[in-house]
Amino acid sequence: MKITRRTFLKISGATAVGTWIGGLGFDLSWAEVYAQELRIKGAKETTTICCYCSVGCGIIVHTNAHGKVINSEGDPDHPINEGALCAKGSALYQIAVNENRLQKVLYRAPYSNTWRGVTWEWALDKIAANIKKSRDASFMEKNAKGQVVNRTNGIASVGSAALDNEECWLYSKFLRSLGIIYIEHQARI
Amino acid sequence: MADKSFFIDTTKCMACRGCQIACKQWNKNPGTKTLQRGNHQNPSDLSFFTYKLVRFSELEEGGKTKWYFFADQCRHCIEPPCKATAESLGSKAVSRDEATGAVIFNPKVKVKAADFQAIRESCPYDIPRWNEKVGGMAKCTMCFDRIKEGMLPACVKSCPTGTMNFGDRKDMLQKANKRFEEVKKVYKDALLANPDDVRTIYLLVDDPKKYHKFAAAENSIGITRKMALKRLFQPLSDLRQIIG
Repeated sequence: MKITRRTFLKISGATAVGTWIGGLGFDLSWAEVYAQELRIKGAKETTTICCYCSVGCGIIVHTNAHGKVINSEGDPDHPINEGALCAKGSALYQIAVNENRLQKVLYRAPYSNTWRGVTWEWALDKIAANIKKSRDASFMEKNAKGQVVNRTNGIASVGSAALDNEECWLYSKFLRSLGIIYIEHQARI
Repeated sequence: MADKSFFIDTTKCMACRGCQIACKQWNKNPGTKTLQRGNHQNPSDLSFFTYKLVRFSELEEGGKTKWYFFADQCRHCIEPPCKATAESLGSKAVSRDEATGAVIFNPKVKVKAADFQAIRESCPYDIPRWNEKVGGMAKCTMCFDRIKEGMLPACVKSCPTGTMNFGDRKDMLQKANKRFEEVKKVYKDALLANPDDVRTIYLLVDDPKKYHKFAAAENSIGITRKMALKRLFQPLSDLRQIIG
């Protein structure tokens, strides 16, 4: 047998212990580890659905007495994932507890190189106004052959994986009512 | 609580890294620097803040690329050499729960750099890691706080494919042997890595070295170590029972 440094230490480490008797008494470090309590004990459990892909895994979010998120993990009672999660789902905790998380809506005006904070009301009104503007500008009543099409080629929709069946129905109704025909799902891109 | 074990069936692993992230998340470990090194493995190695790591080994065989996924973690050895080495150096950084068999490092116990080197090198699987700032060692804890409450370790709970399994040792051994018999029919080189020496039993379908340098302990060393430890520990553990 070739004795390398690694194997030598493996053997010598095991031999040396026979002569050492200090470990026979009460092991304080072990007691310290043992006393460690489950950190989600007594935490409030709230169920949610993973926001990432279209699988829609069930997740339990643990919050402490102050309503702060302290942990998240797969929901074993959820029929889709039965407690399992992928890397992204396992990292869901970071969505809530993250110093990089945006606290307010940021807006960058056309041709500007800086972001500025705006209110939700302002942002939603701005989005609605932009949709109306683009739709009116690109609306087409008849195509080149003179057939009635009532569509807008100026807007496309991409999303959304996390919507359920009924939400998708509502969403596509909304898009069709605007005359949008480019309706796509991000999973195909 | 009965003797516990992991069974890691690498044939089912798709390297999603759910276990790796779940481990980080539960243990509240910070992110470590990641870098594109030409494969999907990140971070590059286990660390004081990374107890679980999915290793990606890419090899070319006969003009074909072969991919080996290895969800590396502490093996929680039956007779942990890290503990023996630590004790021989007079350190109380390593302890073992007699009920579950979990081998646990106490990161609060200061370990000198030289002592850490000896402990790390005594590990046939190259698991122990040290942090200069903290001065202590850390590794997989078998989610001791969770299993004490009857919960699954974070990595096992998150696994979507059934690669990660955890339970009573006899059940895990049974499961491992059953799966081994099935897999053996397809992969003639299949093996269970050191099932009698460790509490984290890997099912591999090829030479362990292809997965990771320290995927399995060299056999001859395993026997030598086991024999040496058996001889040494028997009177010691008897004495321990008498003293209480």
